Amino acid sequence: MKIWSTEHVFSYPWETVIKAAMRKYPNPMNTNVVGVDVLDRSLDTQGRLHSHRLLSTEWGLPGIVRAILGTTHTQTYVKEHSIVDPEEKKMELCSTNITLTNLISVDERLLYRPHPDNPEVNHILPPSLLSTVLTQEAIITVKGFYSDNCFPRYTSHTTGGFSESRILCSRKKHSVVLAESLPQQPVLSEAPQLGAHLAQAD
Amino acid sequence: MNSVGEACTDLKREYDQCFNRWFAEKFLKGDRSGDPCTETFRKYQGCVQKAIREKDIPIDGVDFMGPNKDKPET
Repeated sequence: MKIWSTEHVFSYPWETVIKAAMRKYPNPMNTNVVGVDVLDRSLDTQGRLHSHRLLSTEWGLPGIVRAILGTTHTQTYVKEHSIVDPEEKKMELCSTNITLTNLISVDERLLYRPHPDNPEVNHILPPSLLSTVLTQEAIITVKGFYSDNCFPRYTSHTTGGFSESRILCSRKKHSVVLAESLPQQPVLSEAPQLGAHLAQAD
Repeated sequence: MNSVGEACTDLKREYDQCFNRWFAEKFLKGDRSGDPCTETFRKYQGCVQKAIREKDIPIDGVDFMGPNKDKPET
């Protein structure tokens, strides 16, 4: 199991970031997401908006990898639950994969809040001076046959804003090939994905 | 962005447009007046549920009820 976390500050007000986050896909920085559907959406008694969504992802696994995995499917699916609290100005999003679960679990949590340095509400400032903090965390667990000798190793070099995650298995040659063919970016940094949408959100 | 069910993409886009407008112009501004997207969501949901069943996508523990919590027609 490996925990990966990052924090990013957007130089936009919280409402602008949230509007962009809700419309994040399609996204040129994450073309693996090929479908998004809302499964359920409702307000709770505290006025918070809950959304349950299904994401379809296409990782383009090589044929030999699919054969080893014993699957003919090329698409994997992720379930996502988000809660938007407009009173507290907080958006929390949790997601987990619901396919390939015998092989890997990728559990991700995002939290968007106004920057603590923003002034209090009753001090009115132009939106250009307000910021939003995103905290992104992921817990990645490689399971089953590979779990004994697999260790998630994370290099956080940022190429164009991406953080790359590599899951390496040192047990057998074919294991190494398999593991490196798994999504090498199971968790993409949120920041570059929102960048394209922030300018259009308002 | 497409739907998981190819046939549902148009219904999805219609719902998304309605929702995004309500979300930005009402919800985030504290307006709790009624959800104008209920009917659009119901049609969209009917299509998506069918696609999920046909593709055998392992959705567990998620209510397939729309904003009004009415049970879907079977």
